[in-house]
Amino acid sequence: MKLEIGNFHVKDVCFGTETSFSNGTLIIDKQAAIDYIKEDEHITTCDIQIAKPGESIRIVPVKEAIEPRCRVNADHPLFPGVTGEVHPVGEGRTHALKGCSVLAVGEHWGSFGDGLIDMSGEGAKYSLFSSLINICLVADTDEEFERHEQQKKNRALRWGAHRLAEYLGNAVKELQPDDIEEYELGAITKRSAEVNALPSVVYVLQGQSQMEEDGYNDLVYGWDMNNYLPTLMHPNEIIDGAVISGSFMPCSSKWSTYDFQNNPTIKELYKEHGKSINFLGVIMSNLNVSLEQKERSAVYVAQIAKSLGADGAVLAEEGYGNPDADFIACFVALEDAGVKTVGVTNECTGRDGQSQPLVALDEKANAIVSCGNVSQLIRLPAMERVIGELEALSRDGLSGGWSGDEILGSSVKEDGSIIMENNAMFCGDQVSGWSPKTMTEF
Amino acid sequence: MVKEVEKAGFPVVILCNLIPVARSVGANKIVPTISIPYPLGDPATSKEEQYKLRRHRVEVALDALTEDIKEQTVFKVKI
Amino acid sequence: MKKAVLYINQFFAGVGGETEADFEPEIREGLVGPALELDKQLQNAEVTHTVICGDNFIGSNQEEAVKRILEGLEGIEFDIFFAGPAFQAGRYGSACGFICRAVREKFGVETVSSMHVENPGVLMFKKELYIAEGGHIAAKMRKDIKKMANIGDKLLAGETMLRAEAEEFFPRGIRHQFWPEEAKPAAIRAVEMLKKKLAGEEYQTELPIPKSDRVEIAKPVVDLSKARIALMNTGGIVPVDNPDKIQSASATRWGKYDISGMDHLESGVFKTIHAGFDPAAADADPNVIMPIDVMRAFEKEGKIGELYKDFYSTVGTGTTEAEARRMAQEIVVHMKEAQVDAVLMVST
Repeated sequence: MKLEIGNFHVKDVCFGTETSFSNGTLIIDKQAAIDYIKEDEHITTCDIQIAKPGESIRIVPVKEAIEPRCRVNADHPLFPGVTGEVHPVGEGRTHALKGCSVLAVGEHWGSFGDGLIDMSGEGAKYSLFSSLINICLVADTDEEFERHEQQKKNRALRWGAHRLAEYLGNAVKELQPDDIEEYELGAITKRSAEVNALPSVVYVLQGQSQMEEDGYNDLVYGWDMNNYLPTLMHPNEIIDGAVISGSFMPCSSKWSTYDFQNNPTIKELYKEHGKSINFLGVIMSNLNVSLEQKERSAVYVAQIAKSLGADGAVLAEEGYGNPDADFIACFVALEDAGVKTVGVTNECTGRDGQSQPLVALDEKANAIVSCGNVSQLIRLPAMERVIGELEALSRDGLSGGWSGDEILGSSVKEDGSIIMENNAMFCGDQVSGWSPKTMTEF
Repeated sequence: MVKEVEKAGFPVVILCNLIPVARSVGANKIVPTISIPYPLGDPATSKEEQYKLRRHRVEVALDALTEDIKEQTVFKVKI
Repeated sequence: MKKAVLYINQFFAGVGGETEADFEPEIREGLVGPALELDKQLQNAEVTHTVICGDNFIGSNQEEAVKRILEGLEGIEFDIFFAGPAFQAGRYGSACGFICRAVREKFGVETVSSMHVENPGVLMFKKELYIAEGGHIAAKMRKDIKKMANIGDKLLAGETMLRAEAEEFFPRGIRHQFWPEEAKPAAIRAVEMLKKKLAGEEYQTELPIPKSDRVEIAKPVVDLSKARIALMNTGGIVPVDNPDKIQSASATRWGKYDISGMDHLESGVFKTIHAGFDPAAADADPNVIMPIDVMRAFEKEGKIGELYKDFYSTVGTGTTEAEARRMAQEIVVHMKEAQVDAVLMVST
């Protein structure tokens, strides 16, 4: 399978009369884009705002991030099963607007899995998205049933952002990219003797799927991953739109759709493929609520890895808390199957740093890359401008915000400064592979 | 918590659903329950079935109190 | 200028060796023994007093020694407290630990010591104070004091996020995130670690799995039919008015509830206040978490001697280990008084 991603490096984004891209500038016809978004009548109010790295801007509540892209050789949807019908992806040519992302931002209302991004200052280091030009879809919807719920599906907003990303991506459909990345990985049984002689490696992703009701979990080709068994996937499918992010899980642990589209671990494994390893592919697994489901998924992952003859695995979990039990179960199952495994996760050591780092532990989990502490307290000064609504952080049950605390008070102070847990930093722990953070003893 | 109780010398059995968590925290005698919100009786089943299951699992736990184990043990249940 | 106090034993105070180990606590104004070097190395404070105590005296009269020293310190102003270095001397190390713990609790100042890795004081106290990684013999005095002073200077300057590895003190069991100077993305770290693991080379995990701290398995119940058995739960089963105001998450409170004369827990009389799961099932029938009904049956049938009249409740979700430990210790005191023989704990 061979995928070409044609990159267009976006240096600036501004509004203009026609949506187009030239000389590094993405111009957006704002009204036309809003009209397009509003084709979904569940969107009641809608605006597009731009936030650039270095600006004094705080964005909250952020629900989703997507890299704007389009398919070049086919008329297929960017996200099969989500923005259109199901088609295979991971092959052919996709064009991408690099250096920017489309964010779904609540005009007012936040939910448990939403996050915060600071575009400058001390807070910028907590999220990758402070380094991108963010095209913020700020909207409200008619989803009355969940307006005051802590858990929200955020369907209209998330789908709106997916559609906007595709809409903007289409601006470069006919253009020549600045550069082209090639991702080619042949069939496992048809590789050369030299490649076969290298240690073979799988990448295991445990995507978030803990909500039993439809509408909250990660989707693969539009399918809710709660009702799902681990499957072998081609890495190109993951980076080419087969998986979208869900609307659950404390935000710093979450993987946005942008994270799937650009998964740095897949890129790193590609880089080593044929040199130091034989990259077999991705085993796409999930995270569950009952012990039996956790164990069943671990059995499947280990079986697939073993049947493929994997020597090693990188295992990453999109969550913390009881998902740690899935992570450790899978780690142990892989090790027991003879697959040498490295895990990637974040930790929850508490505000005092003294709690057990994962709720389940096992001595077989002897190689872990750690990306952060979800419960670290963070104090940040006010920003000049807020995109969205700052009160959402304290009012709406975001995982890292609170309305009242006996000692700390509300997360949002009158002067616009905030105190929060890392938990609500938008995709902050970057377990999919960016994280420059680690954990250590103090 | 269970560890502090055992440290004080009380024979103790923990009944819980997430066995790996109980293992990690160092509980010695563990009896599985059926779920987190309803450890000892599935509301989707009849009152009689719930009672039967609860009686069985508690009995396994009581018997576990008398077992002279040498290492961490998860006791088997039938229903 | 901020002020510091140093604790040393009789030997380093020049009082004498083993024969003088019963030397009673004394606080001297000014610098005695190692205090001279500490005062020289310390930039952000001056050492104003030296506390001296014999290792034997504090070893066999610990409470008394601590009490006298605390009393003596009451009239003295200080911003930080040092003890040692204690090298590999076990009694000296634990004396430093006990005194630092008490000073920190009473005066709320940071405390710094230094010990060799094999000093038993390290295991006993590393979580409570900064213990610099010290040498095993007194010849390392100057070096050890330098490390103590460095840690002290940073604490005095208001830096509390000192990295154990960088500052060379024993890890205190406090893990936080940090940004290494040469930031390497997690993806590269993971693939590098995997390559090493595959090649059988050494690598360093970023999350060392703590050795699970198992407790000794308690002696089994000999005769169940004579045993008094208590029930506990972390599922938040309480009387409907929640008289102890146990929090529905991150609990710091627990309760005990009398079930004398009840042959089951009645819905509407008891309920769950746990926020971590759907409460419908346990509210409709609290016995699914606290199985009073079957325990009564076993009691009638003579399988167990007696179901103890109180059951114990708290909430497990989000509760820190430290709080859980404290609550359990409080419950244990009560169970001992009640002559409970064994415990069943239901955890949600």
